[in-house]
Amino acid sequence: MLLLMLILVFFINMSIGSVTIPFMEIVRRIFGNEFSRTSWEIIIFQYRLPKAFTAVLAGISLSVSGLQMQTFFRNPLAGPYVLGISSGAGLGVALLVMAGSAFGLSFFSGGIGLWVVVIAAAAGAILVLLLMSFTAWRVKDSMTLLIVGLMFGSLAGAIVSVLSYFSDANQLKVYTIWSMGSLGSTFSGQLELFFAACLVGFLPILIFIKSYNAMLLGESYAKSMGVNIQKLRWGMIISTGVLAGSATAFCGPIAFIGIAVPHMARLIFKTGDHRVLFPASALMGAIVLLFCDGISQLPGSAQTLPINAVTSLIGAPMVICLVLKRNFSKEF
Amino acid sequence: MEDRNIVLKASSLKLGYKRKGVDVVIADRLELELYQGKLTCLLGPNGVGKSTLVKTIMGQLPSLGGEIWLQGMSLGKISTKELSKKIAVVLTDKVSLGNVTVYQMIALGRIPHTAWHGSMSIGDHQKVENAIEITKIGYLRHTVLSELSDGQLQKVMIARALAQDGELLILDEPTAHLDMINRFEVMHLLRRIAKEEQKAILVVTHDLDIAIDTADEFWIMQCSQPLVCGTPEDLIINGQINLLLPDAKLQFDLTSGKVQDASPFEFPAISGDETSVLWLKSIIRKNVARFLNLELELTIETSPFLLKAKDGDQIKYFHSFQQFIDFYAIR
Repeated sequence: MLLLMLILVFFINMSIGSVTIPFMEIVRRIFGNEFSRTSWEIIIFQYRLPKAFTAVLAGISLSVSGLQMQTFFRNPLAGPYVLGISSGAGLGVALLVMAGSAFGLSFFSGGIGLWVVVIAAAAGAILVLLLMSFTAWRVKDSMTLLIVGLMFGSLAGAIVSVLSYFSDANQLKVYTIWSMGSLGSTFSGQLELFFAACLVGFLPILIFIKSYNAMLLGESYAKSMGVNIQKLRWGMIISTGVLAGSATAFCGPIAFIGIAVPHMARLIFKTGDHRVLFPASALMGAIVLLFCDGISQLPGSAQTLPINAVTSLIGAPMVICLVLKRNFSKEF
Repeated sequence: MEDRNIVLKASSLKLGYKRKGVDVVIADRLELELYQGKLTCLLGPNGVGKSTLVKTIMGQLPSLGGEIWLQGMSLGKISTKELSKKIAVVLTDKVSLGNVTVYQMIALGRIPHTAWHGSMSIGDHQKVENAIEITKIGYLRHTVLSELSDGQLQKVMIARALAQDGELLILDEPTAHLDMINRFEVMHLLRRIAKEEQKAILVVTHDLDIAIDTADEFWIMQCSQPLVCGTPEDLIINGQINLLLPDAKLQFDLTSGKVQDASPFEFPAISGDETSVLWLKSIIRKNVARFLNLELELTIETSPFLLKAKDGDQIKYFHSFQQFIDFYAIR
């Protein structure tokens, strides 16, 4: 059901943009027919197909990390933002854009520049992740870890504010545009890397899928059922770090998906079984992000909206509706 | 030779935790044994280290000294995975999962037995069904947890622990915040499980009266004292049950089986049937600090209830304890 929906949304997403390509044309192209206009071929393969794939990967990564964190921390408000990963990536980019140019460096010309931004974001995410791992190693309590993550996020945010206060308008604009998120700036080499990162990030989930079900009862019960909490915590940190970190590095921060999609999956499937919830969240994350991207293209106009704003604008009311309909506080 | 019925045995066990490298000892030199088919109740005041003892036996907290053997194996040498197949627990942690049905919850107990992907075999489903049957909660099978009462939820948690299928069940205050009927039902259910399923069960509880009715063995834990173990009835007769009541104002009444005010009290002469006398004494003690007129002769007649109070030549009649106590308490 969800898979069919995903495929449908995937193709609708490809047909939408500043140039509208009829949906049926794309379907016909899959069955070997030529497009009626050759320019469409270039638009689809050079631009829209990579963008749609990016949306799918980012949607999957973010929602799956969110689900892991919500279960592990037993907190409905947990999400990729909470461990400070996105903020760390933001700090990396801010340092590159604003502080970097102080040394007379200019990165923003052509394809190389994009790679540099990705590397800066990844470096920032990894830095926060290392700090978090160090904390996880020192403190045993999950709640403390959550609070420390929030504090790291605030700290990174504060440093970004200081940097932006001292930077000029151009640099500020570059950073602001990055922080609005973009699915369209990945090109072929990056897409493959993103895909590989996703596979790496899924490994800990496969290993620990049973432990996540045991975690539904809380840490003490999980321990009594033979779950090694320390190992699970490392698995969770590595997995969310790689998944959310790479999504943020390649697409910029994308709000709401990580925190909201797992709740949607829980409400729709009415189960706590992670063998259902993980695939469900992954598919729904991909669908929601494709859908939001479609809207951000403002069908019928040449303008596009920042994806980060759209996910929040569409998502927040959606979650409020779902939450009001069912007794949300009892999900945990 | 080892007694084959001993499931868990500990000797010179030292409980506590490490803080900044220094041992903080909570209890020392504990000797204890848990037997197959026996329900053991651990009693003691708050803060005496009952939870620490339970966590240590569960293998979640390392002991500071001494040895614990589970079925003849040293507890420290059993991996957490193996341990989870031998010991199942019901904790005080609040479990609130709206979307999970009773069956799914009990099935979580099979986690230690399934492969990495967690798929349940026919055997696993049978164990779950068996646990449902023992706890008699079949009618709740498809109910979601958020719709259960506290008593029902506690039975589900017991069923989950049963499905985990260990030789030892440990329950930390399973009757806390349950109503009287559910306390009774839960404890009798545990006794039945111990007998019919031949499990060793350890229950931490504060419900002395129900514990006396159901337990095979008591462990009485006191602050920095060795553990007192024994059959409840023996402990009552030899007065060791009063170790639970370190306050001199309270004592365990041997005839009524209740904890009572220990201060000496003199009653006037009372005659009548045993039950009525007992409850007359109860209401006098509750309402009157000291009975001034010990010359009074009280006679109780049942059917119809009539309480005669003879004071010298004067005789007063009361038709209920209430009337009697209203008259004497005011004076």
